[in-house]
Amino acid sequence: MKNIIDTFSNMDSRRAHQLRKKGASLVYSIFRLVILLSIGFIIIYPLMYTIVTSLQSKYAFLNSTRVWIPTEFAIAENYAAAFNAMEYMSSLWSTFKNELLSAAIEIASCALVAYGLARFDFKLKKFYTAILFLTILVPEMMILIPRMLNYSHLDLFGILGLFNNLTGIDLRPNILDSVWAFWLPSIFGVGLRSGILIYIYIQFFKGLPKELEEAAWVDGAGPFKTFLAIALPSSGVVILTVTVFAMIWHWNDSLLSGMYLSEEFPLAQQVTRLQETLGQKYLVAFNGRDPQAIGYLMAGCVLFIVPMLVVYMIVQRWFIESIDRVGITG
Amino acid sequence: MKKQKRNRGIVELKSRYGYMFTTHWIIGIVIFFALPLIQSILFSFSKIEIVSGGIDFNLVGIENYKDILLTNANYDTWLTSSITTYLYSLPIIILLSMSLAIILNQKFRGRLFFRALYFLPVIISTGAVINLIFKTTGSDMSDIGVSDAYSANMISVDDIVLLLDIDGEIASFITQTISKIFDLVWSCGIQIVLFLAGLQSVPQSFFEASRVEGATKWEEFWFITFPSLSRVTLLVSIFTMVELITSERTTLIKNVYSMMRAGNYDETSAMMWFYFLICGGMMGIFVFLYTRFLMKRWE
Repeated sequence: MKNIIDTFSNMDSRRAHQLRKKGASLVYSIFRLVILLSIGFIIIYPLMYTIVTSLQSKYAFLNSTRVWIPTEFAIAENYAAAFNAMEYMSSLWSTFKNELLSAAIEIASCALVAYGLARFDFKLKKFYTAILFLTILVPEMMILIPRMLNYSHLDLFGILGLFNNLTGIDLRPNILDSVWAFWLPSIFGVGLRSGILIYIYIQFFKGLPKELEEAAWVDGAGPFKTFLAIALPSSGVVILTVTVFAMIWHWNDSLLSGMYLSEEFPLAQQVTRLQETLGQKYLVAFNGRDPQAIGYLMAGCVLFIVPMLVVYMIVQRWFIESIDRVGITG
Repeated sequence: MKKQKRNRGIVELKSRYGYMFTTHWIIGIVIFFALPLIQSILFSFSKIEIVSGGIDFNLVGIENYKDILLTNANYDTWLTSSITTYLYSLPIIILLSMSLAIILNQKFRGRLFFRALYFLPVIISTGAVINLIFKTTGSDMSDIGVSDAYSANMISVDDIVLLLDIDGEIASFITQTISKIFDLVWSCGIQIVLFLAGLQSVPQSFFEASRVEGATKWEEFWFITFPSLSRVTLLVSIFTMVELITSERTTLIKNVYSMMRAGNYDETSAMMWFYFLICGGMMGIFVFLYTRFLMKRWE
């Protein structure tokens, strides 16, 4: 009899323990969900507000009893105004030409540099790696003005300047306001935040097995062929990560384009100047809190974000997976 | 003897290969990085005039620095406000992104959705558009936004702090932090990505061993996860510091940037260099202390 009671009480305590554990994990899951949702709300709130405001008319905006569901839509009006003010199509072309293409060049040229630094030992390699970290640490803004001044009289090795001094003929080209102001640094692997991209590549290349590449050398493939035929095909993950970062940074860049371009502007620049241009074109005032202007402005923001969002939605699945596998932090 | 020679041949070959891949970058570094950097330092010590065919500058020593520190009335304010923001944002961003990454690394339903959501700031927050959005939506609570009308009716953070009867210093810290909550959460994008990548590289066998030994979740976090993340934390800290220093949302950068566009190159160079030297110095101290004391202890 006593035995039976013992067994029962034992069972009870074990079940109680299990239940308690289950309860604790349930509480934790709820806690986790609450945290994730509330911080998620902070992320989503400005975006939702932007989208809703861009859809509604000024009367709906002034109606403070309805915040999230507009009482009156003015989609066509808001978006047409923003579209015109931003000169959307030509700005999009400018973004593509200046920013996205130079991002593409950067992705390729940084891969080469990183492969060189990750795979081969050579004199001064430590020094170059230190320089690489320096380029990550020194903010782009520090060297922006001298770069801009140099671009207006581009003189790669001082030869043309010397020629100018001797003969008075100025052959130095002005590459401001042209794509070369963006492409040249990218070609040389020192474009927008190239340091970080090279660093990500290096961490990945270091983790690739060396044996395959060595076998390729033994079989007589040159270093570039090895790189193209063996290293690159197995680095899809890192290329995706780098591409996403480079494209995003270039798409959002208003710093360089603000300095280098003065005639046509990429989208990021148009968004930065949007209040100004809207004010000129539609005579709306921002400091007076003109509700009409807010609708136009938010429509402009949506127009700027949407292409990126669409691309992000397409690649996000692979992007999130690739982050698991790329081992950025080695 | 022969083998050694052949080895040297391979070494030489490899070194040549190395240069084949990196020469363009080295040239680029000289032209587009080193030279402008030196020029920028020179600019900060000189007066600049823009003439046709380039610029004219003559060295004037530390005149610019004297000017900005002693005569310029605004610079001190910009500097202090930027540095305070930098100092209190950093630990909050690191802690927040680390905890979010740990949560997002767990297995639960809807994980993919939340990950996609939390990566959203990565694609937007580096851009100019976020300033506009924050200002207009009233998420930038330090500014008087448009949504005043709504927020006036809600209980504000100040009321709560008053109600709870918290001391001045702490209260101001709390109100500041909460009023910047949008800014802080939105700065966590890439940091979460980096921490997640770091968490993937923690060997699972560590956790199995600790489970066998009967460690609690808390001990697991404190003795395995946290130390394994020490290198990532350093990387994330450095990245965050650079981001915070150069963010166009800081007062100093915003003002200096508009001065630059107006064509003032000498004083702005001095302003930037002074600011970056202070921030860089603090960064150096942090990195030194971190590697010297924390990382040593864990390894």
